[in-house]
Amino acid sequence: MSSRRRVPIFFSFFAVLTLLVAACASPGTSPALPGTVSPSAEAVTTYPATLTDDAGREVTLEAEPQRIVSLAPSNTEIACALDACDQLVGVPEYRKGYLPDVLAAIEDLPVVVSFGPVDREAIVAAEPDLILAAGNELTASTDIEALANLGYPVLVLYPESLDEVSADIELIGDALNAQAEAADVTGEMADTVAAVQATVAGLDRPRTFYEVSIFEGTIYTAGEDSFLASLVETAGGEPITGDLRTTAIALEDLVTADPEVIVLGDAAYDRTISADSVAKRPGWDEMTAVTEGRVIPLPEDILITRPGPRVVDGLEALARAIHPEAFD
Amino acid sequence: MRAAIASAEAQPLRIGLTLTRTVVVLGAAGVLLALLLVVAVAVGSAEVGIGDTAAILGRRLLALPIPETWAPTAEKIIFDIRLPRVLTAMLVGGGLAMAGTVFQVLLRNPLADPYVIGTAAGASFGAALGIVAPLVLPVLAIGAGTSWLGLGVVQLFAFAGGLGTVLLVYAVARSAGRVQVITLLLTGYAISSVLAAMVAMLMFISGNALRAIFGWLMGSLANAGWMALAFAAPLMIVAFILLLARWRRLNLLMLGDAQAASLGVDVEREKLVLTVLATLATSAAVAISGTIGFIGLVVPHLLRLVIGPDHRLLLPASLLVGAALLVVADLGARLLPGGGIPVGVVTALIGAPFFLWLLRRSQLLRVELSA
Amino acid sequence: MSAAVAARPLAMLSDVHFSYPRPRGEPRPVLRGVDLALPAGDLVALLGANGSGKTTLLRLLSGALVPDAGEVRFDGRPLGEWRRDALARRVAVLPQQLDLPDGFRAAELVAMGRAPHARRLFASTVEDERAVERALVDADALDLAARYPHELSGGERQRVLVAMALAQEPDLLLLDEPTLHLDLAHQVALLSSIRRLQAQRRLTVVAVLHDLNLAAAFAPRVVVLHDGLVAADGNVADTLTPVLIERVFGVRMELARTADGGAHLVISSDR
Repeated sequence: MSSRRRVPIFFSFFAVLTLLVAACASPGTSPALPGTVSPSAEAVTTYPATLTDDAGREVTLEAEPQRIVSLAPSNTEIACALDACDQLVGVPEYRKGYLPDVLAAIEDLPVVVSFGPVDREAIVAAEPDLILAAGNELTASTDIEALANLGYPVLVLYPESLDEVSADIELIGDALNAQAEAADVTGEMADTVAAVQATVAGLDRPRTFYEVSIFEGTIYTAGEDSFLASLVETAGGEPITGDLRTTAIALEDLVTADPEVIVLGDAAYDRTISADSVAKRPGWDEMTAVTEGRVIPLPEDILITRPGPRVVDGLEALARAIHPEAFD
Repeated sequence: MRAAIASAEAQPLRIGLTLTRTVVVLGAAGVLLALLLVVAVAVGSAEVGIGDTAAILGRRLLALPIPETWAPTAEKIIFDIRLPRVLTAMLVGGGLAMAGTVFQVLLRNPLADPYVIGTAAGASFGAALGIVAPLVLPVLAIGAGTSWLGLGVVQLFAFAGGLGTVLLVYAVARSAGRVQVITLLLTGYAISSVLAAMVAMLMFISGNALRAIFGWLMGSLANAGWMALAFAAPLMIVAFILLLARWRRLNLLMLGDAQAASLGVDVEREKLVLTVLATLATSAAVAISGTIGFIGLVVPHLLRLVIGPDHRLLLPASLLVGAALLVVADLGARLLPGGGIPVGVVTALIGAPFFLWLLRRSQLLRVELSA
Repeated sequence: MSAAVAARPLAMLSDVHFSYPRPRGEPRPVLRGVDLALPAGDLVALLGANGSGKTTLLRLLSGALVPDAGEVRFDGRPLGEWRRDALARRVAVLPQQLDLPDGFRAAELVAMGRAPHARRLFASTVEDERAVERALVDADALDLAARYPHELSGGERQRVLVAMALAQEPDLLLLDEPTLHLDLAHQVALLSSIRRLQAQRRLTVVAVLHDLNLAAAFAPRVVVLHDGLVAADGNVADTLTPVLIERVFGVRMELARTADGGAHLVISSDR
């Protein structure tokens, strides 16, 4: 037997795996639009209510939820913004970036997820009647499936634009029979967005590089067509984007793109990252943003990456970073 | 023994295993395992009393007429979360130890483990592909329809990847109808390297799913459930029965290929059958738990020192002791601070130093014996 | 050809050719047309210089190797038609070298010889236990039964291996240099016990030997391989002639007689 003959076997094995992927996919699954219950502020949810979440799953609530488990800080913030803080019975361990009143409300609640997989026992012990999970593996899909199999209604939320954040807030409003509160929150958000848009309208749109993180020399930024890229755009910048999948950008591509503004999102978590440290990085010193001193740390990254009601505050901070003169 | 031989004419010579010894060894391991089952199910982050635990288990498993005095959540925690997890630990630990026993004979190497000829790399690749593929192709996004027989794409891919890779390695290593151990090991190493590179690539493009891949690679029982058990248990049981039925041939293979052949073993065919059965068990274990190390290496090695190499006893004993060890390790993983660290971390953390100790001790033992 | 001709030989090689494949160049022919008939009950010493194909011939007889051309038959049927386990009930091999796995007692190793006869899945039968005991007694290894391999001397190991082959209760016993690692006393003891067993159990025995003296003392029939062919086959007096020995081994030798006049000895001439 020659090794040549074996090559097709090797590849056919992967071909079979690929076919398996296709075979396992359900034919009707596609990302459906959230919020299928009436969006009207006057509406009242009648239970049992069936909602469609961001993963396209249909979730039925038998009665108005009284015990809510949140698996992501954004969901905690949305619940609290809808006056449902006291209905929370389980929250993530992560406690940074909350407003003081929210922090106080969740301080003594059981922790149901820290860094690893969710604590299924703790969730069962909390006896929830609604679980708010995050999509795109922020909550592991295996955990979502397991919790659903245990018989809990699990709403998976994964907004990919400002409109979808609002739609998700309305979705939770429908779930909690809090449409009026949801309408108030999304209305205020729309006002903030409109104000930012009005402020930056007509201004130059500087080429803006948003640094998400740098790890072992690999630079991560806003991916092509990502939520973050759309925020930069709304904030009046022209986003320099990374790869669609990995969100990474090669240093030479970044140098070629020559950013006029560099926003340091990672400075919110790492004190060693600053305009000075960026200027010292090899290859970065020639970028226009560095030579003109427009490298801005953004502590509000924590809001920008948390798709809840305060994401618009993050947007406003981002717009200030890109156009400081317009907000003075 | 000599006295017994002197009176050999009266009664036939007793060879090797006696029924008493078998019953004592397997009985002790079985009782230990049963005790561990109750303890492991009784302990967890949510509090359920040991009395309630025993009562729930008695009612649900043994159908005893015990009145329901506990909260429904307690029953859910015991029966839907902890029990499948503990049973999965048993199944995986037992399966890996059993497969390790077989691979140590097949590869004529006491340091072989069930992963060495490609199972781990293949299953890892399958799992990583299963995790990343739905993110790359949104049509595969989670939702109704991604499970098949109650199993996720990830488990199925891991299973197929493990089994497929070993068969591939075996086919490539085969030459003139024969498979030599060294060729098999080197082929396994080469193909594993390619797959490891592909896993690294998948990890790079995985985005938020990186954590899921990472957790899988470290080995975790967090995703245990009845459906996964229902998938893996029959495979494991069939593999165990068929392997145990081949205990004689496993013993004969320890004499070397030539002598095994002259004692009636169709050596090449037997090696293939054993490889497939052991890999079936390994892949089933890996599919539902990720790559958990050291159980498949340490347990057979240890047991061979303690109870001897006769596979008639060694195989079932490995199954029971491997099961018990992983239950203990998972108990550690659940109770240690850190929100459920992967059990593979615990087995490596405990297993590796233990193995070193064992290695030193057996060297000393050998020196003493030869002195 | 041997004088003792039975109706049908137990084993027979007809015009057997064999060569080992080599990574480069032409395969090296080892056997180039060997004919050999082994009637039941024969005790044969297989002699020849190093590389003359003695071990190869033994492995062809046991079915471990398949001839390139020609045919090997056992009990009238070509070896290729035999199932491995069926053949193992009739043919036993004492290999030149065998690493005994530690952890098994000698009696357990000998019991492995019963594997081809196994009837029950997990237990051994009374016949198995009797056969093992008889094999241990016959191989003079009963006192070794409870020992582990690392507790055995070279001679003791060989006795255990013989017992293992006897436990197989074969019709044909193939011995590949059974005296290799033994001192003189143990060589004589082993071969005389094999001759005794051969008579007791009606075994057919083929033993590869190096020592011509031992072969002459041990075997009524001698087969000498040379250059891939059978150079001589018959009783000691007819085969181990000085002419043949010089041709095959390249050594000058003489014949002498023992005091009792029975056995033939071959003594090397140092002049």
